[in-house]
Amino acid sequence: MTAAQDFLTASSLHKAFDGAQAVDGVSFTIRQGEIFGLLGPNGAGKTTTIRMLSTVLQADAGDVTIGGFSVGRQGDEVRRLIGVCPQELALYPELSASDNMIFFGRMAGLSGREAKAAARQNLETVGLADRAKDKVDKFSGGMKRRVNIAIALMNRPRMLFLDEPTVGIDPQSRNHIFETVESLRDGGMTVLYTTHYMEEADRLCDRIGIMDHGRLISLGAPRELKARIGDPDQVTLESVFLDLTGRSLRD
Amino acid sequence: MPLHIALLELKLYVLDRGELALSIALPIALFALMYGAFGGESSFSATADIVDLDGGAHARALIQRLDSLDEITVRERAPQDANAALERSAITMAVVIPDGFSQSLDSGAPQPLLFRQRGSGGDTGQIVAGIVRAVAQRMSGEAQLRGTVLDATSGSNIERADVERAIAETLERVRQNPPIRVVERAVHDERPSALDRLVPGLLVMFLMFSITLGAQTLVEERRIGTLERLMTTRLTVTKLFIGKFLSAALRAMFQAVILLTLAFAALRIGGLVDYAELLALSVCVAAAVSAIGLVIGALARTRDQAVWAAVVFTMFMTVFGGTFFDVGADGPLATLARLTITRYAIESMSAVLSAGESLAQQGVGILALGGVAAVALTIARALFRVTETGR
Ligand SMILES: Nc1ncnc2c1ncn2[C@@H]1O[C@H](COP(=O)(O)OP(=O)(O)O)[C@@H](O)[C@H]1O
Ligand SMILES: [Mg+2]
Repeated sequence: MTAAQDFLTASSLHKAFDGAQAVDGVSFTIRQGEIFGLLGPNGAGKTTTIRMLSTVLQADAGDVTIGGFSVGRQGDEVRRLIGVCPQELALYPELSASDNMIFFGRMAGLSGREAKAAARQNLETVGLADRAKDKVDKFSGGMKRRVNIAIALMNRPRMLFLDEPTVGIDPQSRNHIFETVESLRDGGMTVLYTTHYMEEADRLCDRIGIMDHGRLISLGAPRELKARIGDPDQVTLESVFLDLTGRSLRD
Repeated sequence: MPLHIALLELKLYVLDRGELALSIALPIALFALMYGAFGGESSFSATADIVDLDGGAHARALIQRLDSLDEITVRERAPQDANAALERSAITMAVVIPDGFSQSLDSGAPQPLLFRQRGSGGDTGQIVAGIVRAVAQRMSGEAQLRGTVLDATSGSNIERADVERAIAETLERVRQNPPIRVVERAVHDERPSALDRLVPGLLVMFLMFSITLGAQTLVEERRIGTLERLMTTRLTVTKLFIGKFLSAALRAMFQAVILLTLAFAALRIGGLVDYAELLALSVCVAAAVSAIGLVIGALARTRDQAVWAAVVFTMFMTVFGGTFFDVGADGPLATLARLTITRYAIESMSAVLSAGESLAQQGVGILALGGVAAVALTIARALFRVTETGR
């Protein structure tokens, strides 16, 4: 395979909170049209990394370019290219699914009509078209997560950030989300996906960066990572993490 | 885009039944109370508890006459029953018509009525006693008149029945058309000046609720991450800030329109010009309180902190700004009041309402409110953070 174009380049990102390094010199590239996973336990620095990449948190040091634009200097251009689905459910529970989406769509610069059309289409994508008018508050955890993702698609982004989109949901919603992400990737979208579930990363991601204590400790396709410690058909990413850190991912 | 944020929040506000109830039902309840106290034509009405030990024609007539009065409802009781009710304070006064009442009225030496009461009988008891006394005196006057006329005509050749009929007709005519009439007129159009203070006071108090709501939503949105999410759209921090300010101001004005419309419709405190001028002053108050809400929302770390700070602030302003009592022109209370925005707002609004001053004469009030808005907005913008650590 010829080297696909890099869509995102992060080099030696640093971020400290109150003197504690949350992200400590992280570098990686994400190729256009791939699903790139950041895998690591809670507190590894995944969310902090995503926040810096998506322009909401200023890095202490390091550079990021997305689609050729600098995150530090060309934030506006970058924000047009990206859709962000935060780890927490960042939506208005008292509004209907479609009203939530229309609002964020308008904030992304869509006209009223465009926002309505995009809301309909994206609710279709996440399988909630029939619940468009229902209050988000009444939704199950899985359905709320799907709305959270759908909102991130409102501005037709070329790159999607998904921060632990499957935490605490039923298997059916989880599968639905997997299928959504895969079909978005197949449609040409670049995806950054963080998780602390290694099966998820294994199944979904084209390449994975394993994070621990703010550092990227390994990077490669799931099979490559597993092949480094044994027969890739036998070992799991869990044992890869154990081998790298001496700890279990679940701790 | 800031306007979209404001409209969104107004929608959320209207969707929230609790908030909406607070903003509509509470003013209605308060105004109903005030209407009862100042506005409506209130008339006295009470129940007269009567023990009829006589049972004669005059006793029945007395009871019937009392019952025909609009303000009195008669409740007849057996003697023991009345005693027991008095004993357990269920009633404060009972009228006892003594045995032989009718007979002695005919003979011209009327028996006294007995008012049995607990203590003074209470205000109501005293009024009822007064009314009963008046009716009984009228009856005894009539009885004396009848006696005198019958005596005087007893030797003549006029039929006694004709005399009786003539007396009855005359008395009835007098009763229908009393020579002295008491006309009651409620002081409706001379509106009480207390309302001119109280309505602005309540209006400003309700506008101040916007502080709590604004601070609270800001902290909450920072917590659930919608603010940060908005930072990944085309919105700039300044636009978001303006949006939040407009949201709070719009919510406050929504409240002001409801309240003023109610007050002007139900209590008729002024005309259309007053209404417009009060709305304009409300805009100044809304701007000031919205900005203060943003300051508290920026400083508070948790929702509880935001609510407490806002409530304490609102309480202080409301009480010491003279919402419920006049703080006077000098003295420590007046000095304290000068530190509240409430005072300036109420002062200007009641000047428009009661003194008939125009908006143009409210320079001091408008300047004070506008100044507070400007200073608070500057502080709020400097403190405004989308997240604890974000941009
Ligand atoms: N806003 C913040 N203030 C202080 N410390 C933070 C903040 N956000 C994250 N951290 C700390 O930074 C580290 C990395 O957190 P995070 O990026 O959320 O990890 P992950 O997403 O992998 O679970 C953790 O130790 C966390 O406590
Ligand atoms: Mg995280």
